[in-house]
Amino acid sequence: MDPSLTPAFVSVSDVVIGLSLGSRLFLIAVGLSLIFGVLGVLNFAHGAFYMIGAYVTLAVTNQVIDNFWLAVLAGAVAVGAIGALIEIGTIRPLYERAEGELDQLIVTFGFVLVIHEAVRFVWGSQPYSIDAPASLAFSVSVAGSTFSAYRLFVIGAAFVVMAGLWLFITKTYFGALVRGTSSDREMASMLGVDVPKLYTAVFFLGSFLAGLGGALSAPLQSTSPALGDQVIIDAFIIVVIGGLGSMFGAFVGAMLVGLMQAIGPQFIAAGHIAIPFLAMVIVLLLRPEGLFGGIGE
Amino acid sequence: MTTVLETDGLTKRFGELTAVDDVTLSIGDEGVTSIIGPNGAGKTTFYNLLTGVLEPTVGTIHLREEGELVEITDAPPHEVARRGLSRSYQITNVFEGLTVRENLQVARISHDGRTMDLRSRAASDEAINEEVDRLLELMGLTEMADRPCDALSHGEKRSVEIALALAIEPTVFLLDEPTAGMNATEAREIVSLVKQLDEELAATFVVTEHNMDVVRDVSDRIVVLADGAVLADGDPEAVLTDERVTEAYLGSEAA
Amino acid sequence: MSTHDGITDRVGAFGREAVSNGWTTERFAVLGLIGLVLLAFGPTFQVYLFTEFMIIALFALAFNLLYGYTGLLSFGHAMFYAGGSYGMAIVLRDASPYVAEVVGSGIAPLVTFVLGALAGVSLVLLIAVPVGWLSVRLEEIYFALITLAFGMLVFSVIIQNPGGLTRGTDGVIVTLGITEVAGMEFRLGERRTYYFLTAAIVLPSIYAIWRVVNSPFGTVCKAIRESPDRAAALGVDVTYHRWMTFVVSAAFVGVAGVLIAGLANVASPYHAHWTTSAIPVVATVIGGATFFAGPIVGAFVFLYVRWGISRFPALEAHWEFFFGLMLIGTVLYFKQGAAGGLLMLRGWLGDVRAAYDRGGTDAALDYAKESTSERLGRGDRSAEEEGGDRE
Repeated sequence: MDPSLTPAFVSVSDVVIGLSLGSRLFLIAVGLSLIFGVLGVLNFAHGAFYMIGAYVTLAVTNQVIDNFWLAVLAGAVAVGAIGALIEIGTIRPLYERAEGELDQLIVTFGFVLVIHEAVRFVWGSQPYSIDAPASLAFSVSVAGSTFSAYRLFVIGAAFVVMAGLWLFITKTYFGALVRGTSSDREMASMLGVDVPKLYTAVFFLGSFLAGLGGALSAPLQSTSPALGDQVIIDAFIIVVIGGLGSMFGAFVGAMLVGLMQAIGPQFIAAGHIAIPFLAMVIVLLLRPEGLFGGIGE
Repeated sequence: MTTVLETDGLTKRFGELTAVDDVTLSIGDEGVTSIIGPNGAGKTTFYNLLTGVLEPTVGTIHLREEGELVEITDAPPHEVARRGLSRSYQITNVFEGLTVRENLQVARISHDGRTMDLRSRAASDEAINEEVDRLLELMGLTEMADRPCDALSHGEKRSVEIALALAIEPTVFLLDEPTAGMNATEAREIVSLVKQLDEELAATFVVTEHNMDVVRDVSDRIVVLADGAVLADGDPEAVLTDERVTEAYLGSEAA
Repeated sequence: MSTHDGITDRVGAFGREAVSNGWTTERFAVLGLIGLVLLAFGPTFQVYLFTEFMIIALFALAFNLLYGYTGLLSFGHAMFYAGGSYGMAIVLRDASPYVAEVVGSGIAPLVTFVLGALAGVSLVLLIAVPVGWLSVRLEEIYFALITLAFGMLVFSVIIQNPGGLTRGTDGVIVTLGITEVAGMEFRLGERRTYYFLTAAIVLPSIYAIWRVVNSPFGTVCKAIRESPDRAAALGVDVTYHRWMTFVVSAAFVGVAGVLIAGLANVASPYHAHWTTSAIPVVATVIGGATFFAGPIVGAFVFLYVRWGISRFPALEAHWEFFFGLMLIGTVLYFKQGAAGGLLMLRGWLGDVRAAYDRGGTDAALDYAKESTSERLGRGDRSAEEEGGDRE
């Protein structure tokens, strides 16, 4: 951000909290952006996916196996699988429709309602929380402030995911297929790419990342059925600001929104809730493609 | 002969590519003019420039309106249409979910400047429907007037499309590939329709066309575009025997 | 007394004539009006539920001017719903004493309500004109996103309690007061009174929207939905037309917002939240966006299925689950929605009846069996889905 906006009274602790919030938001936003960039689908249920990731992780650690990392993996894979099933069953029939984009948005909104209620039915309305894994249950001191090591780990994880995705999309064969299909679906299809399969794979990957975000967040926030509705709006703001379809944009947008939420209230007592929406409106009007361009960037 | 449509140095560049290159043309109100050229010659871009869908990089466009030539270079599509330049599309573009009658009502409402009329009823408004009935009759659509367009055959949709474009009483009517997707019989019907309309109506007809038989039958003048520039211009006989024209077509097929 | 009898006679004569003419529009209208009056004497809760149904129906119908008729999906119409509510609630709260001074305390509550309603709709127009002008520059998903953002912007402003006007998350309490006219005293907020007041506003509003839809303006809306570039090539200024449709749609949503404030007795920030914007989306899609009456049918399903579900305590808290399924099923398999389903059913009943006229009961039954098995056998899942989702 502009250095003039960061005077001395912004504490390191606020910055770290903002970055850790941004890291979690990144994991949900990047999948949302990826899916939109390749499939042209705006997945309203992406926040609900994130929430499922958190719940599955909680359930697995509490009832199946007392290993946090396996539970995180279970959460991410479960959400990826749910995403893939939803894509095959309810999104795929709509690609060819004239007004398909809006229909897809409405169908995925239907899943927001379904998942919200299903989660409440299974786990109830009360908030849950779990402890950070024992291996990271210590504190680290940075510039005079202390943080839980787990919080720093999540920030690191976001950077690793960003780097990994970037390598995956730009350097691998699958990534080349994804980029090709996102820019010209028909051409890709003519060149022999199995577009429906690729779409499902991308939807799986995007959902997997949302699930991962939710799973990793479980020790940092309380998990309740309202979680999905909260994060999806943040995710929309992020992908719009960063550019629908841009992974790097999702990263920068997520960190900006995370920092804004952590530090913003100190600058502007009134209006810090409104500012992200104002930013969203302005970007949509002046630069609807977002601050950062296409899928590989 | 009076000039109804005129372009001067019309140029459109997309980055490095020059799609339309310094086209200066003057189209008069007598006879049918065809604009032809191999694929990628710039016909579609040229139409999009004329109709205001694209803005030219350089150059001007003038259209005759109430006796004098008026500049329409940077006018948006709806304004170009209101000033008297109407078009049909290569891929039929009608209001699929509306009935044939409703389609024409839209055009008449627009022509009469009544799009903001909230009080009348479109279905029973005499001023609108009198002209709609006449157009239905003219295009032989009366019987299917109350059928939704998505239930019509390709040829019938093409008729609706032409009726729509005529309904706004244009000075110039651009037909984009009017026989695309049609068999020989249907194509011949379109040719005689265009010739008949050109005689009966005040509008001047400009046609782009792939089918050389159609071009030969329908045109009084042919303009050939190649690589975005005017390659040949004149009466059909001369243009179609021009060596450079044959070469341009063959060249593009070889490539 | 004699004039009273005269009116009764005339109404009676009109009713008899309508009935003798068979199932005409007049007959339905008369039946509907009788139903409306009778319902007022039902249990208070039913009166309340029907009032809410009318308000949501107006909300969804106004939303559908933009969605079903013009092809723009707004996810921010709650801002106009809240605009109507808050305009009305703030006027009621702050202007009541002044109004009483001017017109006398007897009729003041009614006058304040009317002023509040006007203020609510004016506030909505004040928001809708600039917001619409900006939003219609975008299409499809981007239009949905920008309206969502504007809606949440309004929500954020409301919970910030600017100048102490909106009272933050608490909202503004609405007290409708007691009106005295010609020696008669009635409480505007009383369920039955408010029910009639709502009907007296919603029915003409529905008629007005129906006229808009059938006007030259509305015909152009439909054309824009089908093909914006075709409409432009015929001389229609598509952006301007969408803007005007946006404003008309918002104004009627504002009317619904005014009414909900009086019914709920509060203008709440919840009325501005995006989840409220989703209500007309759900009602319209389930009801059938392509039919004029679709949003009305959808609003009916929305409120009465919810009420029906609440009969079963185990399911009560999870009614949204069923609406989610209905939404998905409708979009995937039966875009015509419930209104389309009803029309289909009517057509089918007509066919059954034609078969009966030809060959009696047996023919009718045969036709019914045949057509049903044909539908099921063909693998056309629309009819099943519809039925299945309801149960």
